[in-house]
Amino acid sequence: MELKQAMEAATAELDVRPGFVGDVMAGGRRMHTRRLVVVTAVVALLAGVTTGVVLTRTPEEPADPRLTAAATGPLAGDAQFIATVQHLWGEGQRDRPWTRDEPVTEVSSKPNVFWTGQTPTGPAALVAQQVQVRTSEHPATLVGLVADGTVVDREVVLSESRDREAGLYRFGPVGDQYVVLTLGRTVSWSQSPKRGTDNRLTRTWASAPHDEDGVVFTVAPVDERPVFVRGDSVPQPGDFTQHAIVSGDLQPDRPFVPHPGLGWNGNFCATDFPERKRSWQGIKLQTAQQDLQKRAVLDYVVSWEAIPHWSVCAWLPDGRYALMFEAYGELYGALYQPDGTFSAPVVGGRATKGDPAVLPLPDGQGTIVADVGATVGPQERAHAWLAPAGTREVTVRQKGVPRVIQLP
Amino acid sequence: MQDFEDFVALRSQALLRTAYLLCGGDKGAAEDILQDVLMSMYGKWRRIRSSPEAYARAGLANAAANRWRRRSRKPEAPLELGAVPTARGHEQQVVDADSVVRALAQLPKKMRAVLVLRFFDDLSEAETARALGCGIGTVKSQTSRGLARMRELMGEQVLTWN
Repeated sequence: MELKQAMEAATAELDVRPGFVGDVMAGGRRMHTRRLVVVTAVVALLAGVTTGVVLTRTPEEPADPRLTAAATGPLAGDAQFIATVQHLWGEGQRDRPWTRDEPVTEVSSKPNVFWTGQTPTGPAALVAQQVQVRTSEHPATLVGLVADGTVVDREVVLSESRDREAGLYRFGPVGDQYVVLTLGRTVSWSQSPKRGTDNRLTRTWASAPHDEDGVVFTVAPVDERPVFVRGDSVPQPGDFTQHAIVSGDLQPDRPFVPHPGLGWNGNFCATDFPERKRSWQGIKLQTAQQDLQKRAVLDYVVSWEAIPHWSVCAWLPDGRYALMFEAYGELYGALYQPDGTFSAPVVGGRATKGDPAVLPLPDGQGTIVADVGATVGPQERAHAWLAPAGTREVTVRQKGVPRVIQLP
Repeated sequence: MQDFEDFVALRSQALLRTAYLLCGGDKGAAEDILQDVLMSMYGKWRRIRSSPEAYARAGLANAAANRWRRRSRKPEAPLELGAVPTARGHEQQVVDADSVVRALAQLPKKMRAVLVLRFFDDLSEAETARALGCGIGTVKSQTSRGLARMRELMGEQVLTWN
């Protein structure tokens, strides 16, 4: 393997954390302002000027209106409920330490309840509170939902990046209730995608235009894959490219949770790299997912368990490149031309834990057979093998125990 | 500053990869030094906007070197520094990818920086020398020694060099 190719492979999956750009911009502004303040102070000192110094500052962002807005909703006039919410909000701050994504250094004002609502499991309220954060010179807004007698979730909204607010809260005993802030735009939601005979997916969307409350409440069972988007119009049924709103519980809130699905982790190859492609860096799993979404073959990815972190690549006899992966318990493939342009989607069958993954490819290019940790095929290739077209069965050896797999 | 924000949005991923290799596979440290370098570029944007990429890469190399200098009394092993697999076996991309990071982590900081800038970022010897603030002769000698050391560490996995 060439050094460059190995370095590219080692870094192919790396990407910056969500919010990184905002953190850099906020930190850069703060650092720059601090430098201007120091320079100005030094100049003033040297000049012997003790008064009348105007320090250069970046313009103040207007305050978040939710910090002072009157409560809306059916319980807005219930002073006892408002007081209970504020009490629970304060308890939540005492009991739950700030996380890395919550760079709060100081809670500087009284919490303000700006929305109330009735849900099937009891009353709920949205709260806003001004806080100081170490990543910005300006005060930020801490926004959160109180429901079911506790703080469900909270979000730090920087004044410089209010357009990045998620504004989505999932709660309830089985996690099927949603409160979504419209934030001045149209919120649309959909559940239960349908796959047609041409393998393309469609979704039926409901929507709520921005109203005076600015809040949408709905109930949607998790196994119906609810998806929420915020935009200027309602998505088309075959549009799987909108930016889906993702709630804070995208990842499990505890470590060492085994990933569902086949439970594999890593990038594997079912064939050797052709000599002429030794420095080719391959197609990223995320790119393949997006390419399938553009063609309405793969659904929105809005949960941690949707896409396990494994893939199997293969160089095909006709020169194309295939990437196989798992999503929502099904197998998918994306085929690319040698120059990296997308060629064709492949929808496989169910991915069953304990069984090898089998993905028949179109145009007589063979079948990818993968079983991580096993040896596959007559050459006992590690993890995966591209069975040539016409192969009827493949032997997979997991811990030396042979198992014959019939191919479709 | 829209163009600076665009630069950060568009180039952060590529720069993170360089930082990751410069930090010997420590992703947390890579993100930290990248954020520090980009933040420091904010106030200098007008001066450096003609070649921000070069400025950022030089900043990353220096930040990684300083980081290692500060921590030199306690060498890090961000990835398991067990035996580096040398068998090519079944063309396992994963094994190759991990072992190159392990091997890089074992190189002296300057040697690592030279290899990363030359072979990952495709900088010329002169550009690498400018980024690291050293002479071209140093880049040449560090490249030669670095490649030899990588061959020792990775065995047959390192076949050719571009």
